[in-house]
This record gives sequence, C-alpha cells and structure tokens, in this order.
Amino acid sequence: MSSVTFQGVSKRFGKVVALDDLDLAIEEGEFVSLLGPSGSGKTTTLNLLAGLLAVDGGTIRIGERLVHGLPPDKRDIAMVFQNYALYPHMTVFENLAFPLKARASPPAAEIEQRVQRVAQTLGVSELLARYPKELSGGQQQRVALGRAMIRNPRVFLLDEPLSNLDARLRIRMRHDIKALHAQIRGTIVYVTHDQAEAMTLSSRIAVFNKGRLQQFAPPEEIYDYPANMFVANFVGEREINFLNGRVAGGPGGPMLEAEGIAISLAGVRGLDALSAGAQVVLGVRAEGLTPTLDGAGLPATVSQTELSGPDLVVYIRPEGNPAQEWCCRAEPGSRFRAGDRVGIALHPSRALLFDPDTERNFQAK
Amino acid sequence: MMHPWRRRSALRRAADGAIMSIVVLFALFPIVWGLSTSLKPTSDILRLPPVILPSPPSLEHYRTLIETGIGRYVLNSAIVSFFTVALSLMLGTLAGYALARFTFRGKAAVMFVIVAVMSIPLPSLVVPTFTFLALLGLTNSLVGLVLLYTAYQLPITVWILYGYFQTIPTQLENAAMIDGYTRMQALRKVVLPLSGPGLVAAALFVVTFAWNDFVVAVAMNSSDEVRTLPVAIYNYLGFFGREWGPLTAAAMVSIVPIIVVFVVFQRYFLSGMTGGSVKG
Repeated sequence: MSSVTFQGVSKRFGKVVALDDLDLAIEEGEFVSLLGPSGSGKTTTLNLLAGLLAVDGGTIRIGERLVHGLPPDKRDIAMVFQNYALYPHMTVFENLAFPLKARASPPAAEIEQRVQRVAQTLGVSELLARYPKELSGGQQQRVALGRAMIRNPRVFLLDEPLSNLDARLRIRMRHDIKALHAQIRGTIVYVTHDQAEAMTLSSRIAVFNKGRLQQFAPPEEIYDYPANMFVANFVGEREINFLNGRVAGGPGGPMLEAEGIAISLAGVRGLDALSAGAQVVLGVRAEGLTPTLDGAGLPATVSQTELSGPDLVVYIRPEGNPAQEWCCRAEPGSRFRAGDRVGIALHPSRALLFDPDTERNFQAK
Repeated sequence: MMHPWRRRSALRRAADGAIMSIVVLFALFPIVWGLSTSLKPTSDILRLPPVILPSPPSLEHYRTLIETGIGRYVLNSAIVSFFTVALSLMLGTLAGYALARFTFRGKAAVMFVIVAVMSIPLPSLVVPTFTFLALLGLTNSLVGLVLLYTAYQLPITVWILYGYFQTIPTQLENAAMIDGYTRMQALRKVVLPLSGPGLVAAALFVVTFAWNDFVVAVAMNSSDEVRTLPVAIYNYLGFFGREWGPLTAAAMVSIVPIIVVFVVFQRYFLSGMTGGSVKG
C-alpha cells in the first residue's frame, strides 16, 4: 500500500487542456473518488496515474517512487475498467491468474490457492471454468474486481466500475466495494461521475471541472462547505437553488434583496465578512428550505410535488418573483398540492453565500 | 395449399439454385476435367465420347510423376510457402499493430505507400528485382524467393492485420500492461490469440501467392534443385510432350493442397476479411 502524489501535473490533447496543474496528495490506505462531469479531467488523471497516458508536465509519485516516466507494467498497480476488459479467450480462472503469471510466476499450487481465495471472497467460485461471455454483467464486474485484488498492488484504480450495472445492482456493488476496502485497506482511486457513489464510498473526494481540481475534502465537507458554486451544484441529489442578490441591513437583521424577493439572512455564516450592499449569490439545498401551510416566511406557491422515497419534494415559485422555481423538502408526513399557498422558511445553517464574480464560497472553511 | 407469396419465394429459390449451379459448374469444369483426365489410363484420355468418371480410376500418371522426381518440387514449394507465410505474418503483425495503435510522424504517408504499392503490377518488378537479387547473390535460391514473396505480400498482410487489430479493444492490452506485462507480451498473450481470423485471412493470401507463383520463380531461379512446382509443371510440357496424363496429374498436385487449405479455413477467411472493415 502506498500514498499517491500529483505535483503540478498537466495534460493537453492538441489545444485542449485536459488537466491543468494538478496538485493532489492521496494518503496510504485512503479511498479517494475523482468526481466530475465528463471532460472534467478525472479519467485523464486516472490514466496518467496508470501510465496509459504520458504527462506533459509535473510529477507523479506512488509512495516515494517517481512513476510518471514508467510504463504501466512497472508501476505495480491494478485497475478495474468501466467495461471490465476481461480477456475473452481465457476462462475466469485464467483471467484471475493472469496478473500472477506476469513476472516470476509462483508455483501452480499457489496460483490455484490464491485464485480460489479471491473467487471465494467475491462469490464467483462456481464460475471459474466459464468464459467471460457466459457471465452476467454483475458477475463480470466481480471477476474484474478479483483480477485487480489477486496481487497486492500499491494502488487500486477503478474507472467508473459500476456505471454499466442496473440501479439495484449498482447500490449492492457499492456496498460490497466499501466492505472490500474495509477488509483489504488498500489505497483506492475511484473515478465516477455519480456524486452518490463518491459520497457513500470515499474518505475524500476530489471534485474536477474543466481540467481543474475544484475541491479535495471529505464528503461531509464537500456537501456542507462546497468551495464554489460548481461543487455546490454538482454534489447533492438535486440541483441547488441559487438566488442572486444584494445584502441589505434592516430592522429585523440582514436581508437578501433580489428581484422582488426579500429573504432574511439572520444567522447565516460568513455574513460578517460582507459589507451592506455587497452582491452575493445565496445557495441553498432542498433541505434548507421548508414549506409550511401556515404561511410563515417567504410567501410562495407550490408548482409541483414529487415523492422521493419517504420524502416529499416540493417545487415552489416565490410570489415576489414567479420566474424562479425552487426545490424544497417538506417535513415528513406533510401534504402539499400544486397551487397551495405556502410560506418558505430558510434554515440559516444550511445557507451558502458565494461571490458572484469568482463563484467562490465566502464561507469556505 | 400454398400462399402465392410462398410459391413465389419457392420459385425464386429454385431460380437462385439454378443460377448458382451454372456458375459453380462453369468455375469447376476445368478442374473436374483435369482431375478426370489425370485418373484415366493413357489409352482412354482421347476417347470419344469422353468419360467423366473413369472406372476403375488409374493412378499410373501419379506414379510416373513420383518416379520422375516431382517430390523435390513439391517440397521446394512447401518450404518457400511455409517460410514466406511465417515471415510475412511476423513482420505484418508488428507493422499492422504499430499502425493500429500508435500515432507517429509520417503514419499517413506509410499507409498511403502500403496501398499504392499494392497496385503495382508484379511483372513490372521482375527485372529490377532480378538485378538486385543477383547483386545479393540470392538468385537460384529458395531464400531469395522467400524474401521476394514476403516483400510482395507484406502490404496486403499489413493492411489486413491493421484492420483486424483495430477491431480489438485497446482496453484489453491496457489491462494486460497494468497486470504487469510489457506491450510485446500483451500483444503475444492477448491480442494475437484474439486475432485468429485476421491472421488466417492474411496467411491464406500469402500462401496462395507463394504456392502458385510462376513469373517470379521462373525469372529468379533456373537450376533444378531450387525449382518450385508451378515452374516444374511448365517444364513438363517439354518433357512429357503431348502426354496429357502426367501433365494433368501434375496440375492436380499443385491445385489440391491450396483447395484443402481453403476448405479447412474458409470460415476464418470470411470473418477475417470482413472483420477489418466493420468497426464496432
């Protein structure tokens, strides 16, 4: 097991900057997700670490060893590919044994024993004689994981390993991968565009956008203190609600005035740093806005409701500016219907304030 | 009671069958005629009306051929064919793989040249290659033929293998390299085992050429020890005169092996030819 350190790493494809000056230090035994939309640089980062791409600048270390000049076979890594990349002409057994035979091949008895052990851990013992095309997607996924686990590599690289599975199986495999990590305690670098996967699996998440690292922090921090508007919006089940406005003082404490809406900012973090009249973007997730039928708070009209598991998600339009549509989460057990007139309460601890020019969070930790 | 459309399709099938039979008959007639002649005793060969199935078939002409030493020419052709195929596939694999997987300066030019040289008629190359081969002291040798045949067949070999390698997902080699294998090992253990149809298609092209070539062999080699089968058959015309029996038997000896090879590998051949052209 080893740490992984990127220092000033850049990669261009022609004129396109795929990765711009990345600094990232992953600790030994950590589970780090590289999260971002497609084209954000997360897969480029993984391929640079794997040695499938060459860096244009900067250094990559695995442990103390500089690896960015080495071919993949000299880096002592294991990787699970999005489409599994099982060798179609080999049985499951041969696929699992393949990495063991790469250099000084251990005796057949030891190979047998190690393959059996991994197959058992992943529940594919009955499939050893089959060929990849005779397996279901979930089984192929397990074999691909097994092939990565059979050695003790310095780092495991996982490239969107669950994206080809159906929703149920994905959640189940997510659970299994987390259990596996707890068991083998290996350093894992996991690429995904699914924020829920990143949030549930990782010890830390690196959020990428347009070739730049936006934030590198534990999941709770990413969620509660997003570094900028991109991270705030990308992480979370639903899009975050943004409201452009101006900070104004008032008898009832600080207010946000925006396009016909005035909303109290009393108790919101980071206000002290702002002078009256400053332009800000208020960001608040659904759970930071609670609709009530008794009408206290910002007056609004329900435009749509959605049942999401046990929660009722309510879309509302503020009466002062019906062009806006916000997403709120109702108290469990409450009932709303489209057309209901409601009052919206803002939870100050869940409100985020961004600089409209730099898009940075005023509150960043 | 047949539905009209069903009757139409039955008619259509019959017509298709008839047309195909005519084409097959037309193509196979010279071969069947030759085979039939080679199995007739000399006295029956020119008899009218001709008999297609001689009974009993006679192997006397084949015996004559063996006694006059056709074995040496068959062996020469086999040696040349084998080594030409081996060398072409080896070089073709490396070149085709490099073209399929890497971008490098001058790649487009290399590909253009490969296609362009395929269109040069072979006889126009005979004279310059003869002087070149003479310079190297490789005329009158099987080695010379192997090198020339490989040179002639390399473009098509590279082209077929280049096309086939493109159909194999890059991720498989990437996986092998991450699993601890060098690129050459990944090529050998992962790419080549999956390239059977492409390799067979290329090999069939090469073996057909090497086994059948007359023009190059007759120009480069003159001595008897290094004579290949097609040249030997031509020389039989002088040796046996108008003895059709041994002549047709010799022709059969040259045709049958290639037919057998094609029948055995036909399935690979077809998927190898189309494999390169269809990209997933």
